[in-house]
Formats: sequence, structure tokens, C-alpha cells
Amino acid sequence: MMLEGYPKPITLRDGTTLVVRPVEAKDGEALLAFYRALPEEDRLFLRDDVTSQAWADRFIGSIDYEKVIPLLAEAGGEVVANGTLYRTLHGWTTHVAEIRLAVARSFQRRGLGTALLRELVGVAISLGVEKMIANVVDNQVGAIRAFEKRGFHREAVLKGHVKDIHGLKRDLVIMSNDVSHIWDAMAAMVADYSPTLGG
Amino acid sequence: MPKTEIRVGGLGGQGVILCGHIIGKAASIYDNKHATLIQSFGPEARGSACSAQVTLDEEPIGYPYVKRPDVLIVMSPDAYFQFAPSLKPGGVLLYESELVTLDERLPEGVVAYGIPATRLAEELGRRLVLNIVMVGFFVGVTGLVSPEAAERAVVHSVPKGTEQLNQRAFRKGYEFGLKLTGKGNGGPRHDA
Repeated sequence: MMLEGYPKPITLRDGTTLVVRPVEAKDGEALLAFYRALPEEDRLFLRDDVTSQAWADRFIGSIDYEKVIPLLAEAGGEVVANGTLYRTLHGWTTHVAEIRLAVARSFQRRGLGTALLRELVGVAISLGVEKMIANVVDNQVGAIRAFEKRGFHREAVLKGHVKDIHGLKRDLVIMSNDVSHIWDAMAAMVADYSPTLGG
Repeated sequence: MPKTEIRVGGLGGQGVILCGHIIGKAASIYDNKHATLIQSFGPEARGSACSAQVTLDEEPIGYPYVKRPDVLIVMSPDAYFQFAPSLKPGGVLLYESELVTLDERLPEGVVAYGIPATRLAEELGRRLVLNIVMVGFFVGVTGLVSPEAAERAVVHSVPKGTEQLNQRAFRKGYEFGLKLTGKGNGGPRHDA
């Protein structure tokens, strides 16, 4: 599957222009440099050790735009954000996709996370996804705000589920965005139902 | 373009009426021609027979009913059985090739083009967009409305949020049609 419309320029509210595009095999080193530059505090909540070469090789090797759709944002030739959509193609959650997002400190609170999220949500909907989820730690206020701006809400809280850099237990917030109403509207439109004939 | 009569037939839930509506909208609003739409439904919505009659012309249309269509689009076997005999000799049949099997009831000289629209729609992520695949196929094969007009009509007719998937569905059908008729890269191949 090809992702249409990329690379795409985006302008942040302070006027900074970046380019958003799908991650390609050649981006392994740049992605690794991006994650290595993230403060440990920002990396701690990620699921993998994203500073290792093995992770980069595995991540790049796993790119399959049917299942794993990673986007990156570039500024001045450097990766400054990475957002990935994970889909399941078999089983009982094929209608659900998970979004993971990381933004460089220097680009946080400037609207980049929201912009990248908008792209990922658009890609997910165009693939027919009905529900998106994201895991966020309760003190990641900026991330929670960015997700809420894109239609996510707090669906569940797992108490004391993660430990931060100081060993302090924190709540994991599972945020979700149910877009099934979009597909319900489409289903209603193609129902070939006559408003003048019954029910 | 001379006056062209089109009938779209299928089952409730396949988006038959929307398919006809988009073709008419593309011609009348975005290609500056004239179009009429007549729709008919079975006693229930989902799963029962329904059809749309679309007439396109350069001139205002005085009579909107379609008796002998120049183009027939069918998405179900029942629609094929019911409407194929009424197709004008030498007309064009566009059919869902994994649901409809052609037989001797087709009038003489009809040229038929098949597309596995349901499967293509499922591959795109949503079976719901099979009718939009059919719209694209209609445009690719017949050229009766411009692809730009048709794509605009698709985008402006579907629910907000679904535009991208519907655009992809339109292009999928359009390219399939171009290829099948030899306007694309695949060379001519009539599979009637």
C-alpha cells in the first residue's frame, strides 16, 4: 500500500515549516539519532529501548504499510517527531489501531504533536479503522491535550501501572477515539433506504 | 454527448442510489451538463432489489424515465436478471464480476466489462465503498463524465471523514476501467 499525499509540508503556529512523510528504510540512523536525543524521562514510557541499533533495525525491518504505518516530521534534515499507527489485520481487534507518538523536546508545546496526530488519524480513517487508542502517562499533560484535540478521550485508567524516572508509580491513561460513527453515516448513506417508503 | 440513459441496479445496502446520484451530480454540477435521477426501492431497504435511473444530456431533459438504457451497471445477480434484457442492443454492461455471471439474455452487440468491485472495496478497508469503485469503473470505461468531475462529486457526496477512502475507491475503479478498455496500460480486453 502506498501512502498518498506525502511528503507533506506543515506549518506550526509559530511559523516553523516542517515536512511530514512516511518512514523509509533509509531513515534508520536518523530515527535512532532522534530517539537517542530524547531525554531519558521521555523515553522511559516507551515500550522498547529505542536507543539501540537492534531496535532501529527491527523497527525499520517491520515497516509494512498495511500493518505498521510510521510517519516522521523533519526540520532542517533532522527527525524531530515520530508517530506510528499499528493495525491488527486478524482477530477481534481488526477495527482498532494504536497510535504511538514521540516529539523532540525542542518541538513540544508548539503544535507538532497535534499536527502529526492529525495525519495519523486521517490515515487511520482512510484505512477504514473504527477506533484508535493511545497509552499516555497521567503526567504527560501536553500529550493528553494533543490527543483530546484530535477527538480522543480518557477511556480507562490503570492505577500505578508505570514507574517514572524516579521510581514513582504513575497511572497509565488509555485514550480512545471512536470514529465508528463516520462509518455508520456511510452505511446509512448506502443503505438505499427510501425516506418515502416505510420505516 | 448525445442523450445517454443509464440504469444502476443492485441490492439495498450496496449503495445503488448513491452511485446513480454521484454520476448525475458529476455530470450536472461539475461537467455543466444536464442530469435526472429516478430511484426505486424494494419493500425493505437492506437486501432487497433497488435501482436508479440516470439520464445525462447536453440539453435539458424532458423525460427522466429510462426504458432501454445505453449503459447498465449491475451489482447483483437479481439486478442482472431483471435489467439485462432491457439493455439497448450495442449498449454497455458494467457488472460486479464475482457476483454476476453473464448468459444469453444479453441483447445483441452489448459490450460487457466486469470488475470485482466488492473484493477491491474490501481490500481498500471497507466493503461499503463498492459503489464508489463502480462509479470509478463507470467513468474509466465510458468516459461519459470527466474523472475530475466525478471525483469532486464523490468527495462532496460522502460523509465527512470518509473522503479519502472514497477517493481511493474511485481511483481504484477508474484505473481498473481504463486498463480493461485499453485506455490505460493493460491493453484492450472485453470479457463478455
